[in-house]
Amino acid sequence: MKRSDFPFLGFGVGLRRPHYGHVIENHPRVDWFEVISENFMVPGGRPLEVLEAVRERYPIVMHGVSMSIGSADPLDRNYLRDLKALARRCKPAWISDHLCWTGVGGRNLHDLLPLPYTREVVDHVAARIRRVQDLLERRILIENVSSYLGFVSSTMTEWEFLTAVADEADCGILLDINNIFVSAFNHGFEAGKYIDAVPAERVVQYHLAGHSDHGAYLLDTHDHPVRDEVWTLYERAVRRFGAVSALVEWDDHIPEFGVLAETAGRARSIYESVRGAGAGRYGVSSERDREPALQAHHRA
Amino acid sequence: MAFPLKEIESLLYRLITAPNGVAEGLLAERNLSPGGLGAIVRGDARLSAAERVDIYANMYFYRLLEVLKEDFPATAAVLGADNFHNLVTGYLAEYPPTEPSVMYVGCHLAAYLRDHPLRNAAPYIADLARLERALVDVFHAPDAPALEAGQMRAISPEDWPALRLRTHPAHAILDLEWRVAAVLEAVEQGKESNEPAHETSWVLVWRRNSRVFYREIDAVESAALERLETGAAFRQVCDLIAAGAAGADPVIEINRRLERWLSDGILAQPARRRAPRK
Repeated sequence: MKRSDFPFLGFGVGLRRPHYGHVIENHPRVDWFEVISENFMVPGGRPLEVLEAVRERYPIVMHGVSMSIGSADPLDRNYLRDLKALARRCKPAWISDHLCWTGVGGRNLHDLLPLPYTREVVDHVAARIRRVQDLLERRILIENVSSYLGFVSSTMTEWEFLTAVADEADCGILLDINNIFVSAFNHGFEAGKYIDAVPAERVVQYHLAGHSDHGAYLLDTHDHPVRDEVWTLYERAVRRFGAVSALVEWDDHIPEFGVLAETAGRARSIYESVRGAGAGRYGVSSERDREPALQAHHRA
Repeated sequence: MAFPLKEIESLLYRLITAPNGVAEGLLAERNLSPGGLGAIVRGDARLSAAERVDIYANMYFYRLLEVLKEDFPATAAVLGADNFHNLVTGYLAEYPPTEPSVMYVGCHLAAYLRDHPLRNAAPYIADLARLERALVDVFHAPDAPALEAGQMRAISPEDWPALRLRTHPAHAILDLEWRVAAVLEAVEQGKESNEPAHETSWVLVWRRNSRVFYREIDAVESAALERLETGAAFRQVCDLIAAGAAGADPVIEINRRLERWLSDGILAQPARRRAPRK
């Protein structure tokens, strides 16, 4: 895969329940929305109604938290069937989930746990991503997670692991800049190295979020503004990767929508300061791929 | 790899979900190698291996506690913070989440409360949790167009007796031992709730325009709606309402109940029949 297989969506915001009404009624100026897939994998009711209304006006991306691609359990076929059904319904620009495991033995921890960074696990995870991609009939993106523990058995760095999995699975990367910062602090590596090492052509999306400081460790809580150090890393990523869609996540102590929109605006400003004025307009891709970026997901 | 992936993930799962914390969970791991957790999870001067696992254990519990508080605000309010915390600890050990969405985390809480010692302090608590869970279920229940009054009126009156009306999929009828609807209402209004009457009650939960409502109904309405659910003809439903009219005009009673069902969206439009293949 290459990045130009995916559209450049610009600068978006994670769609969260407190903002449903505002988004539907006021159609705020953001380029796109990311939805948590599992919140919409329901039989009916308001979530699906909201999704229909939002996707009429904005490009949508589906971001999952329970694929458990790194689990030792067999892939959950029912989950994947429901995910595909939702994708058929909301026609996302792409689908993403995390490079992690979320449960084992048929149980779900509802958390994103890291994996041992070994060749054996690369093979295991990459084979599963390939099966998922076959089933969904599309390339997916995998996201680096924040982590608080590492394994003695790891034989490579996190970025080497991410790169190896993405290369072997031939999938895209959702690079969470805040997660890099959090994990760098928690494990004592240099965040910039991570940005410099991941394969540029596979990076399709960024996540930007805030975290909380617990002294001995940082926690990826998505309940604070994006820290200045994370913005600096983002700028470094923009310099290296070019036209990559960016998204602001906020999941706890969620402020008014305007705060999220302003944060997305700051991401755009940084992008344009690096790439040139107007480069961050939705639909304008990189210098390399200026042909129409996204025909199927235009704005109404 | 020194430890197979399944072994590592299973160990971490057990430690993260250990009801009394990672340290106590580790004591139960009799088959752990001599190096202990430190041979699997890397610890350092800042945080030991167990402390690192503990971060996940805390997140697991508190995330799910928040989910359950949100889904069961009245149950939590009645029990108080400490009791609810302890309830959730025991509940998660008995019913650990298995579904991809947190929406299902609380689906067994009412059943779990049926035999829980907290019932001694609040004997109605399982009924209250059942009602709160029904609100969540109905919120996400399948969509269907509601039958509107105008559509009903458009049907020729002579066809009404044989009509097989169907109830909307986004509804539930609960038969309860306690009149807990009043407790939920009080908590929603920020008022102090009293112990409800220990009387059989029926509560109808339904969704209209994406919002979920509930109200107590009487035995006649409950039986009539249940009869509709089983596919009975409207005539049979009318007979039941008429028999329960208790001196009131049966026609007025039938009209009153039907009007309410139509305005609340309790009835669904008939499913469209597929044209037979030629």
